[in-house]
Amino acid sequence: MTSVFLEMLDGFTRQRGVQGGLVVSERDGIVVDAHVQLGVRASVVAALAASIYRKARLSAEAAGLGGVAYVELAAVQGRLCMAGRGDLVVVLVTDGRSSVGLLRTALLRALDNLP
Amino acid sequence: MSDDIRRWSEELARDPASLVFIPLGDALRRRGQLDPALKVATRGLERHPYDADAHDLLARIWADRGELERAMDEWGAALRVAPQHAGALKGMGFACSHAGRGVDAERYLVAALATDPTDATISAALSRLRMPPAASGDGGPRPSGPEAVRSIRDSSASPSHPAPAAESVSELELPPMPVSVVQDARDVFLDLLGDGEQTALLLDAQGYVLAGSYVVADGRDVGQDVGGALSGVSDEAQRAMRHLGLGEWTSIVFETDVAAVAMAPVVQDGEAAVALVAAARSVPLGLVRRLLRSVTERSAAWLTGTVGPTGAEL
Repeated sequence: MTSVFLEMLDGFTRQRGVQGGLVVSERDGIVVDAHVQLGVRASVVAALAASIYRKARLSAEAAGLGGVAYVELAAVQGRLCMAGRGDLVVVLVTDGRSSVGLLRTALLRALDNLP
Repeated sequence: MSDDIRRWSEELARDPASLVFIPLGDALRRRGQLDPALKVATRGLERHPYDADAHDLLARIWADRGELERAMDEWGAALRVAPQHAGALKGMGFACSHAGRGVDAERYLVAALATDPTDATISAALSRLRMPPAASGDGGPRPSGPEAVRSIRDSSASPSHPAPAAESVSELELPPMPVSVVQDARDVFLDLLGDGEQTALLLDAQGYVLAGSYVVADGRDVGQDVGGALSGVSDEAQRAMRHLGLGEWTSIVFETDVAAVAMAPVVQDGEAAVALVAAARSVPLGLVRRLLRSVTERSAAWLTGTVGPTGAEL
């Protein structure tokens, strides 16, 4: 069975340095769909990414900065790139080789395809 | 008191490894018997080098002797062992205040208050610290040297060995926070920011502003509101990276309807802080990231005291 997100996620994971793409529910951190490499724990990534995105959204609102469209968390060995609309958040897990600017643009464009 | 001293001395003689040296040393200190107190504390520390209360005791003895630097060393040692040690946080707060390090003093006192919200002496000290000089009453010269540390001595008693109330509150004569120090802290990033639509803050682990400002169109500084609201994001980032095994987090960037916000950790001498840059959406993201790097470096240098106001090297 294929989901409406499969083509989008497949396109992301073909990009250099992308180890996985997920669509998650921000409210409960559950995986809606995922295309990840072996070793990437989709359910853990989904829960944590949703939590970060939600925190960023609520904090930005509390600070009077408006709604959040894109969040990027960088670490020593990789990063999480996230863009959301409504309750859905598209999450990419990448290593240090990825072209972040390209991924950000692709993620923001992908929001138009979210239901 | 003398009965207690006799009893604790006997107990220590029976068991030299006992932690009773802490109340014994403190009792001697309160009686002004600083040499025997010092001997008891240093011997105790030889056996218990990782006991924060022991370092706190030694710090208070040094403070009583007028040796503020040594006192701060010991409170620093106590905080390395127990970062939330109320007595050491309080002691460092008062010591920094007397040393003219108002920003550090406020940071330590805020942390001390978080560990013991019922301690009225900390609240009073913070109020005093935040009060402009004109409103602080006496306007007289700030105490210095032994006179200064005498007030530290009694106001820095740890919760387990509280000072008598009459002493601790009445001697809580903090010098007013110099306006210039506050202004300097706000101006630390000014030269990096230029005239653009961007701002920078340095937040401590609790989300309080250490340096920088966030001034909105009507002239209000909303740095504390914004910093407090956003500091939780860095906690979440740290937690997530730990679980995902991607190593320490290095930055978080998020774009909102009206701004791009970037944050990065600043770790200095084991203390964690967060540098935050916010810019209008019209500012290119790459520039925001570069600015964040500069602000992070400046923050680290400012925390170590190697740069002063407006980034001038010291």
